[in-house]
Amino acid sequence: MPATFDEQRRSRVRIVDILLAILVTVGILAYILDVLALRWGLSTAYIGRSYPNYLKAAWISLYVTTIAYFIGMGIGFVLGWARSVRTLPLARVMAARRREAVAAADGGSPGAGLFLGTLLVYGIKYYVRRTADAYVAIIRGTPLFVQIVFVWSAVLVFYPRLDPLLQGLLAGVIALTANTGGYQSEIFRAGIQTVHSGQVEASRAIGLSRWGAMRYIVLPQAVRLVIPPLTNEYIGLLKASSLLAVVGSVPELTTFGRSEAFQTFHIFEAFALVVGIYLLITVPVSKVVEWIERRYRIPGLGIQASRTARV
Amino acid sequence: MAVGTILVILILQTVLRFNLLDEDLWKLYLPSFLDGIVLSLRYLGIILPLSVVIGFTIGWARISRFRTLSWPLSVFVDFFRGVPPIIVVIFAAVLGPSLLPARFQSQDIGIIIAALTLAMHSGAYQSEIFRAGFMSVPRGQLEAAQSLGMTNGAAMRFVVLPQALRLSIPPLANEFAVVIKDTSLLAIVGGFELFGSSFIFEQQILFSPGNQLSWIFVVWTAVALVYFVMTFAVTELLNAIDRRYHVKGLEAVTV
Amino acid sequence: MIRVEELEKHFGALHVLKGVSLEVQKGEVLVIIGPSGSGKSTLLRCINLLIEPDSGRVFLDGTQVNRRDIRPEWVRQQVGMVFQSFNLFAHLTALQNVTLGPIRVLGTDPTTAGAQGRKLLARVGLADKADAYPAQLSGGQQQRVAIARALAMNPKAMLFDEPTSALDPEYIREVLDAMAALARDGMTMIVVTHEMGFASEVAKRILFMDAGRIIEEGSPEEIFHSPKQERTRMFVGKILR
Repeated sequence: MPATFDEQRRSRVRIVDILLAILVTVGILAYILDVLALRWGLSTAYIGRSYPNYLKAAWISLYVTTIAYFIGMGIGFVLGWARSVRTLPLARVMAARRREAVAAADGGSPGAGLFLGTLLVYGIKYYVRRTADAYVAIIRGTPLFVQIVFVWSAVLVFYPRLDPLLQGLLAGVIALTANTGGYQSEIFRAGIQTVHSGQVEASRAIGLSRWGAMRYIVLPQAVRLVIPPLTNEYIGLLKASSLLAVVGSVPELTTFGRSEAFQTFHIFEAFALVVGIYLLITVPVSKVVEWIERRYRIPGLGIQASRTARV
Repeated sequence: MAVGTILVILILQTVLRFNLLDEDLWKLYLPSFLDGIVLSLRYLGIILPLSVVIGFTIGWARISRFRTLSWPLSVFVDFFRGVPPIIVVIFAAVLGPSLLPARFQSQDIGIIIAALTLAMHSGAYQSEIFRAGFMSVPRGQLEAAQSLGMTNGAAMRFVVLPQALRLSIPPLANEFAVVIKDTSLLAIVGGFELFGSSFIFEQQILFSPGNQLSWIFVVWTAVALVYFVMTFAVTELLNAIDRRYHVKGLEAVTV
Repeated sequence: MIRVEELEKHFGALHVLKGVSLEVQKGEVLVIIGPSGSGKSTLLRCINLLIEPDSGRVFLDGTQVNRRDIRPEWVRQQVGMVFQSFNLFAHLTALQNVTLGPIRVLGTDPTTAGAQGRKLLARVGLADKADAYPAQLSGGQQQRVAIARALAMNPKAMLFDEPTSALDPEYIREVLDAMAALARDGMTMIVVTHEMGFASEVAKRILFMDAGRIIEEGSPEEIFHSPKQERTRMFVGKILR
C-alpha cells in the first residue's frame, strides 16, 4: 500500500525529531561538561590514578547497604506481616469470643477467666500493634540524618572507647537497618494485603486452613508483587548510605569523595567520579526493574510504591 | 498514632536513660532549637514551591510527542533520581558559587545554591508524579472534549489538567514529606536549619565537661519530633485537600 | 448533508478503511451495523475529524471539510458525538458537563448557558440530576447527560458510537428512547449500534460494514429480512434470534 503524503510527512518528522533529540541531549551534556571542566580544570591524570580507590569506597557502600538490607528485610517482613492483620474493635472481638466459648461449653456460660484472658491478649496485641505502627511512622517521618546521629550518639555514649571506624560502622548499620526495616515493612504489608483480600476466603472455601491459605496462595503471589519495590528499596538504601558522611569515619563512597575533594582540591573530578559510580550502579538497575514491571504487570494488581525516600 | 509515639518515646527514655523534659537543657538549647525551626521553614518556603514549578513543567514537557523535548529532560530526571541528594548538595554548595561573578562567592550563597539543587532534585521526582497524573486521565476525556470543538489547549485546561492535578495530590503529599526531610541535608554545607543548629549544639555538649551526656538524646528526640510533626502536618493537609477535590472513579495508574 | 467519498485509513500495517463512501440527508437517521473490527468507529471519527483519513473527502453541507485550511475544531462544533464509554468529565457536575462547551467554545455567557443546559437535561429526563457528579449517576443517566452535552453545541448532526454497548440491560431502553426522540425532532443522526430493534424502528437506512468496506445498503426490511449479500445474511442471522 503506497504511503500517503501525510504518512510520509509524519515519518519524516519522526526521524528529524529523533536525530534532533540525540543532538540536543548530547550537546547539552557536552556543553555542561565543557564549561565545568574549563572552569575547574579536569585532571584526567587524577581520575586515572584514583579511580580504584573510589571503587573500593563504593564497595564499602555496597557492603554496608547489603548487610543493613537483609537484616532489615527480616525486621520488615515480620513487621509487615504483623501490620497487615486488621485489628478489629474490642467489642467485636469479645462478642466473637463469647460465641465461640458458648458453643464450646455447650450452652454453659463462659467463665470470667476467659474474658480476662482475651482482654489481656488483646491488650498486648493492641499495644504491640500500635508501637509497630508508630515505629514505621517515625522512621518514615523523620530524616535519616537524625536517625543516624541518634544511633551514633547512643554508640558514642555506651561505647566511648571503641575505634571511631567501628563506632561509625555500628551506628551506620543499625540506623540503616532500622530505616530499611521500616520501609520494607510497608512493602511487605502492601504485598500481603493486596493479595489477601478475597484470596483467603476463596482458599478456605476449598478447604485450606488459614495457615495453608497463607502458605500456598497468599505468599507466592505476594512474593511476585513485592520484588520490584524491594529492588527499588535496595537502590534507595544504597543512596541513603551516602548519609553516613555525617559520621565521617566510615569510608563509603560519599565520605571518601568528599574528603578527597577537600584534601586534593580536585573537587570536580571527585564529584564526577562519585556521581559516575552511583549512576553506573543505580540507573541500569532501575531501568531493568522498570522494564520488568512494565512487562509482567498484571493490570489492576500492583503496589503503588511511592518514592521510597528515606532522607 | 499518638499512643504509639508516646510509647516509643517512653521506651527510648528508659533504655537510654534520658529525660525529654529536662529543664536545664532546654534553657540552653531553646534558642538554637527555635532558630533552627524558623530557618528550616524559610528554606522550605523557597524549595517547596520551586520544586513544584520545576516538577510540573518537566512533567508536562515529558509527555510531549517531541522527543527533542522529552529526551534531554529524561536524562535530567534520571540523573537526579540516580544520585544521592547529599552528594549533589555538597558539590553544588562548593562548586556552584564559583560559577557566579566573584562578588557573590560566599558560603551563604553556596547554601542557597544547595537549596536550589534540592528543589531540582525534588522537581525531578515530582515530574514523574505529574507525568503519571497526566497519563492517568483516560484518553476518552480528551476525545470528548475535542468532539465538542475544543482546541487541544482548551481541552488541556478545562478537562485534562484539573483531573491530572487531582490525581497527583496523594503522591505529592509523600514527596513533600521527603522534601521536608531533605532540608536536613543543608546542615552538611553549613546551613543552620533545625538539624544543623542542633548538631552544633550537640557538639558543644559533647566537648564541654559537666553537661550530661543524656542531653544528647533529648536534643535528637526533640528534633525528630519536630520533623515528624512537620511531615505529618503536610501529609494530612494534602490528604484533606485530596478529600475535598477527589474525583470518584478516577485512579492513578502506576507508570 | 454529510457525505464521505473513498475514505482510506491505515493504522500502521492495518488497513482499516478501504474506500468507504456514504451519504446522509438532512433529518435522516442512518444506522451502521457490522462485526467488531470492521472500521465503524474509525469511520465515525473520520467524519468529525477526530481521526485524519489517509485519503478521501469528507463533506459537510456540500463543503469539503478535511482540508488543511479548515480547523477541525470548527467541524466538531457542527457535528456532535456520543461515545460508547460516555466520557463524561468526571470532575464536573452534569450541568457543568453540558455547559462547558457552550461557555468555553461558543462563548455563551454562563447564565444563558446554564438555562439552556437545564432545558437540555430536562429534555433527556434528567432535570433533577443537574448537580450530580458522573460517579453518582447510573450508566444510562450518564449517557443521557452525554447526549445533552453534545446537543448543547447546537450541532447540525450527531454521531453515536455504540451508545448502549457499555450499558447494563435495564438502562438501554432509556437511552434509545432519548435517541428516538431526537430523531423525531428531525436531527440528522449516524448511529453505530447492535440494537436491531432501534434500527428497524428509527432508521431510514441501514449500512452493513465489514472489514473496512460497506458491503450492503438498504432499508431495515431489506437488510434484516432479505439481505442480498452472503456476508450480510450471515451477520444478520447471527444477530437476529
